[in-house]
Amino acid sequence: MGQKKRSGRVHPPTCPSETQPPAAARTLDPPNSSKARGFGREERARHRICMVSDFFYPNMGGVESHIYQLSQCLIEKGHKVVIATHAYGNRRGIRYLTNGLKVYYLPLQVMYNQSTTTTCIHSLPLLRCVFVRERVTVVHAHSSFSAMAHDALFHAKTMGLNTVFTDHSLFGFADLSSVLTNKLLTVSLCDTNHIVCVSYTSKENTVLRAALNPDIVSVIPNAVDPTDFTPDPSRRDNSKITIVVVSRLVYRKGIDLLGGIIPELCTKHHDLYFLIGGEGPKRIVLEEVREKYQLHDRVRLLGALDHKDVRDVLVQGHIFLNTSLTEAFCMAIVEGASCGLQVVSTRVGGIPEVLPDELVTLCEPTVSSLCAGLETVIARQRSGKVPPPADIHSKVRTLYTWRNVAERTEKVYDLACRQPVLPLPARLQRLQSHCGAFAGFIFSFLAVIDFLFLFFLQWLHPDHLIDVAVDASGPHSCWGPSFKKKAKDSNRAWPPGADTRHC
Amino acid sequence: MGANSGPGASPCASPVGPWRKVLYARQPFPDNHVDRRFLEELRRNIRVRQYRYWAVVRETGLVAQQVSCVAVFITLWSCMDQGRLGPSVLLWAATGCALPGYGLYEMLGGKDRERPRLADLQSAAVFLAFTFGFSPVLKTLTESVSTDTVYAMSAVMLLAHLLSFPYTQPSPPGSLSLNAALFASVCLASRLPGALHTFAMLSWALLVFALWPCLLHRLRERAEWSFPWAAGLVCAGGVGGLGAVWPGGALLLSLALLVLTLACPLLLVCLQRHKDNIHGPWDEAEIREDLSRFLS
Repeated sequence: MGQKKRSGRVHPPTCPSETQPPAAARTLDPPNSSKARGFGREERARHRICMVSDFFYPNMGGVESHIYQLSQCLIEKGHKVVIATHAYGNRRGIRYLTNGLKVYYLPLQVMYNQSTTTTCIHSLPLLRCVFVRERVTVVHAHSSFSAMAHDALFHAKTMGLNTVFTDHSLFGFADLSSVLTNKLLTVSLCDTNHIVCVSYTSKENTVLRAALNPDIVSVIPNAVDPTDFTPDPSRRDNSKITIVVVSRLVYRKGIDLLGGIIPELCTKHHDLYFLIGGEGPKRIVLEEVREKYQLHDRVRLLGALDHKDVRDVLVQGHIFLNTSLTEAFCMAIVEGASCGLQVVSTRVGGIPEVLPDELVTLCEPTVSSLCAGLETVIARQRSGKVPPPADIHSKVRTLYTWRNVAERTEKVYDLACRQPVLPLPARLQRLQSHCGAFAGFIFSFLAVIDFLFLFFLQWLHPDHLIDVAVDASGPHSCWGPSFKKKAKDSNRAWPPGADTRHC
Repeated sequence: MGANSGPGASPCASPVGPWRKVLYARQPFPDNHVDRRFLEELRRNIRVRQYRYWAVVRETGLVAQQVSCVAVFITLWSCMDQGRLGPSVLLWAATGCALPGYGLYEMLGGKDRERPRLADLQSAAVFLAFTFGFSPVLKTLTESVSTDTVYAMSAVMLLAHLLSFPYTQPSPPGSLSLNAALFASVCLASRLPGALHTFAMLSWALLVFALWPCLLHRLRERAEWSFPWAAGLVCAGGVGGLGAVWPGGALLLSLALLVLTLACPLLLVCLQRHKDNIHGPWDEAEIREDLSRFLS
């Protein structure tokens, strides 16, 4: 990103960033400018959003698909979205995904578990470049495990941009590591404009962890693409009962419980089969159980699954089992129900909020309770009292859609943009009053350093000399929504298969 | 979602029914709605143990006697260093302590014994033979290191021994604490005048840091009443012994022991009131059952 084409800069005539002092809050496009772009759409504010997280494609998971799907739906609604993440191996620089979704893979050092290092300072030049180039108005950071997300929030506040944060996970309070992480979260969120959580339990958790005012925390659940998860009863073998488990094989997903459930139920029911998709350190537990009870023909371990194969595995089963020990939202049970399976799950975290009682059987996280729950569902299955998969699918398909998520997130952006971004003195005061004397002092100091560093960068590379990127919707949005209408929704599928490389 | 279901919209004038904590139903409340039921499942201090002062004092006896053990060891070393005690006297004393101690340990052990006595004798013989054979080597091991460094290292290692001692499960002593203590004793022993001195010192180190915690643990298990007496005896021995070589040190030690056994428990019991531990549905579920039965 070092090279800058001095010629051929595309500046729309009413670029608000040029008429304002550099560190002041950037406002939205005035309504007349959005009208100038035409298309006779409703006069909603158009936001230019930068999603920042360490976790994005080619990494796979809940956060990654959330960012991707939300971005696609926001683009569909006429907003501009760019994504910033760190470089994944060879995948560095700028890439374009479906519908011109631009992704910056920034060369930042990965430290642990795909999370970058944080110094609160060093990522400013790169992120500032992205924010200025793309004329970003809202910075939306994802996941509390992502150091880059917290860095981006820190810099965005320094640059006077509005900030939104989405927390995807639950965290405890008791041990040393959570005390430290919660302190960092307090610091990071104390002056963030709005926070989004994926379930009410997650909201309670985040409010307590970061000592927040609950009014600035919204609950917007995750969604599942119902067209990806359709039932197919012909794929089932009805001479036996198949229990499907699709999850990473790690402690937090309760795989140890699964290792107790398998022998308990297999000795009682001789037509019971387990189909387990996923990989992880706890695979050894399942292999030992399979070895000891000689269940090789009845417990199949499929190993890591591609996202596109998950549905093919799900439709082979009658019952979907989730044994998680903690979960903020749990997309897996929605996917299972969407494929028409009977869902049995542990009652932990936000799971009780996700599906209505007729679609899920909730159990305590113990082997005996889960076995009892499974037994009732097996009995129901044998007596044929379960609704047909198509009925279950039609109930689930409207519950969680990405369009609904995007609509609600849009309102969060509207709200966040109406709030002021704290100027430096007020921000320092907020840090010191909210985060305790010691952390408050340290982070106030870092905020001042960040501010001075921004000043230096603005002197070195003034904002008006940084090229404004051409939107993927073309100059003046001439390839805008009407152009995109021709493209079918099926292009939106996660994971983004083909992407074009920016030269 | 209705028009006023976004965050920031004014709460609906006539909400249909009460708010429910579910995500699957579209409810006529804004997304940032904070209900009366917000945080109603929050629980505080559900697994907090209430301590009684004298019970805690009794438990601190273990810490106090371990500190005193270190003091006893340093006393023995300094007596030998100054030539007040000969190595043969110490070796006889060690035998005199070890044999009744072993007898007591066996007596309290009960009948379910897996290890034959011959094995015990064998390990003792191997240890003594090797230490005796290697004591000239150990004696000259740190010759090239300055005495100050050796003392500093010993002090740090004895401190590490006290810090890493597994007070909750003292038998057998944890490997880090035992190794730190033996390292310190080798350092100190190498500054003594002769090879037999070194041998005597190491034998005592083993007695004090390895065997005594085992005996004490068994005393606590099988004859609860004797534990305070044993701990008190060791403390008195530590203070008394240190008083013979360094009266100021003895004063400091007795002060430290008093603070440790009387003031620290008071502090713990008082601070217990301020404990604020929060639990709720977001906590990671614990697996309390023993799942290894499915595997073994």
